[in-house]
Amino acid sequence: MDTNDSGATYPKTPQPGFLSRSVFSTNHKTIGLQYLWLALLSVFLGMALSLLMRIHLVWPGAHIPFFSDLGDLPERYAALIVLHGSLMVFMVLTAAPQAGFGNYFLPLQIGAREMAFPTLNLFSFWATATSLLGITAAFFLQQELGVTVWLTSVALFCAASLFTAFNFTVTVLDLRAKGMTLSRLPLTAWAWFLTAILAALIFSILLAACVLLLSDRVLGTHFFAITAAFSAPISSFAAPGVPVTWQRLFWFFAQAEVYVAMLPCFGIATHLLATFARKPVWKERAVVLALCAVGVFGFCIWGQHMFASGMNPYSPLVFALLASSLGLPALVLLFSWLGTLWNAKIQLTTSMLFVLGFISLFMAGGLSGIFLARQDLAAAAVSDDFITGHFHLVMGVAATFAILGALFFWFPKLFGRRLNEPLGKLHFWLTFAGVYAVFMPMHWLGLISHTRVSSVSQLQAVTTLGADLRAFITVASILTIAAQGIFLFNFLASLLRGEKADVQNPWRATTLEWSIASPPPFDDFGPCDPVVYRGAYEFSLPDVAEDFVPQHLAPEQVAKVR
Amino acid sequence: MPSTTAPPDIELIIEDIGGGGGRGKPPAGGDDGGDSGPGGKGGGNRPRPSPPSSRRYYTGMALGIVSILMFFMALASAFLVRRGTSLDWVPVRLPPVLLVNTLILLSSSLTLELARRRLGQTDLGGFRTLWSVTTGLGLLFLLGQLIAWRQLVSAGVFIASNPASSFFFIFTGLHALHLFGGVGALLYVALRKFELAKISRSVAAEITSYYWHFMDALWVFLLALLYLGR
Repeated sequence: MDTNDSGATYPKTPQPGFLSRSVFSTNHKTIGLQYLWLALLSVFLGMALSLLMRIHLVWPGAHIPFFSDLGDLPERYAALIVLHGSLMVFMVLTAAPQAGFGNYFLPLQIGAREMAFPTLNLFSFWATATSLLGITAAFFLQQELGVTVWLTSVALFCAASLFTAFNFTVTVLDLRAKGMTLSRLPLTAWAWFLTAILAALIFSILLAACVLLLSDRVLGTHFFAITAAFSAPISSFAAPGVPVTWQRLFWFFAQAEVYVAMLPCFGIATHLLATFARKPVWKERAVVLALCAVGVFGFCIWGQHMFASGMNPYSPLVFALLASSLGLPALVLLFSWLGTLWNAKIQLTTSMLFVLGFISLFMAGGLSGIFLARQDLAAAAVSDDFITGHFHLVMGVAATFAILGALFFWFPKLFGRRLNEPLGKLHFWLTFAGVYAVFMPMHWLGLISHTRVSSVSQLQAVTTLGADLRAFITVASILTIAAQGIFLFNFLASLLRGEKADVQNPWRATTLEWSIASPPPFDDFGPCDPVVYRGAYEFSLPDVAEDFVPQHLAPEQVAKVR
Repeated sequence: MPSTTAPPDIELIIEDIGGGGGRGKPPAGGDDGGDSGPGGKGGGNRPRPSPPSSRRYYTGMALGIVSILMFFMALASAFLVRRGTSLDWVPVRLPPVLLVNTLILLSSSLTLELARRRLGQTDLGGFRTLWSVTTGLGLLFLLGQLIAWRQLVSAGVFIASNPASSFFFIFTGLHALHLFGGVGALLYVALRKFELAKISRSVAAEITSYYWHFMDALWVFLLALLYLGR
């Protein structure tokens, strides 16, 4: 730990110089925005890669400019998957909701002015940026070197995520404003906090796995690759040649990583839902407990990914039980969302649409998760396509919808301008239809690939159906990705000449970030520390004039109904 | 220099009272107006920004220790799984110098605590001497680990020889790397001019001591694992 981490003293003034102000800044807002830009770059890069894969699956001979010139070795396709996965999971799903929005809005929401260790935060961001560069560069390098560079980049990302996690946890625990008790913490802050704890535990596991694997590649050790002459004895449960040790370490990380990506999205969705339903979060305390439970269960179910690779015959049952029990907190969250929406005067802004889309996608994807959590079904009934469809719905696009909802919600605070609503709604509906058209058929594809056929004609029918489905998915994904151009245009155009958000609280939200100007001044709250007087979701109180009461409003400042 | 003693410690006490977020008595909540809560109309007497408390360093170090523990537990579990599923395991004969190193490291924890006691008695000279002894013992331990490595190498046991030797070098190497960071922290506490720092000497010394003792215990655990899991 770096004990020499110095924040600026108060009152802060903007430091001179472009580099220290905008590039190597220790200000949490600058760093948060930098993460968001990084994620925006990565998400379009990742989408382009998925497009390449889809085209390659359906039209394998097609000539793609630039990409085809890199050669057509089979490893190229594997590299596409690895690069797409690492960009999307690390740089988008992990970085955007947590490090991006979290860095910007966690200190603002809890009245902290800064992260606990600003210099460490600066290091984290630049390590993440370097890691992105390394992961991308690995794709173009010669294969052996490329894998090593990729692995080093992932290890660097682990270190950066660990430091970010320390920063978030300590900030929530020790830097909350006066009156911001844990029960008054916005659910977004709760989610960022729990995510940080989870991340602090699991990224060290992936770091250890990366160190061992790097040692295997560079120092010639054999931690994971057991040579054929020494393959596992018959008595062992492990199938020979399967790097079980790597799988254990990796899935210990990766299963929990799903919740590192999803927890902030749960928090954001619940927060936005209450704001746009103009109602308090239904059973707020149960939601907090459910978020904790997601973290705890998510930490314990790595084994469900190893049903196929051989383990003690009794352990799959345990993992299946634990994995299935994840449905409980998910149900609590769902009921809270529905309870919040019940009888509400819902404001269908683009942000709200994306949140509702998030809930729809999370539920649709979560349902297929019930099949995958059962060791017998997972092993026998489904193939890779089913799993691809499942986790893209529940983790990939669901989380992306929450991120987009958050972006539409916070854009006025970030830039002082508003995103265009009609364009946003058009983008939402096209994307919403598009992702279902892409990922639902994948479930079907996964199911039919295990169809038992008893005649040649049946086999032909199944094969034709599979080919048709693949072509359909590819066409749908091309259209869906094309629709993202609307978003990109909306984003850039609104950034430059969007409608000015002339009020500092356009959504009439309650949390502290809306009590200051948009975009927030360099020192956030000015010369005085904020004080919090109430919970985060006081909407539509019976005897109050306004339909919301901000957290910073003292009881005697609240205007009453006459 | 026993004359310049007291200020850092007094500073620490003041800082701790000013402790941080949310722990202070929360202002009256609820929406039953008429409560004489702080902050009049317009929030005129909101609190001025208080100097940052040092509690964040304790929390940060606690979290860091948990993370490092997870890191080494991942390695230890890899060790156990690899040990159980392979036939290519050739036990490593642990060099006896490791026992000497262990004693050196344990005694460094002792001198560290003695040094902190001197600091508590505002005996800065005694603190500096014992703190330097601790740093020296830490460096001596690292030297001893290097000797153990050289003994193994000269006996023909390399990192790539077999899984057992690989784990030995990886465990000792990564622990040494972390301990090297601890030596850096010791030097920081010894050399930093704390009159200018946000953190007081005794807080820095206390946080460093947590890390150092943790490294100490971790080494004992790793040595036991390496010995029992041969």
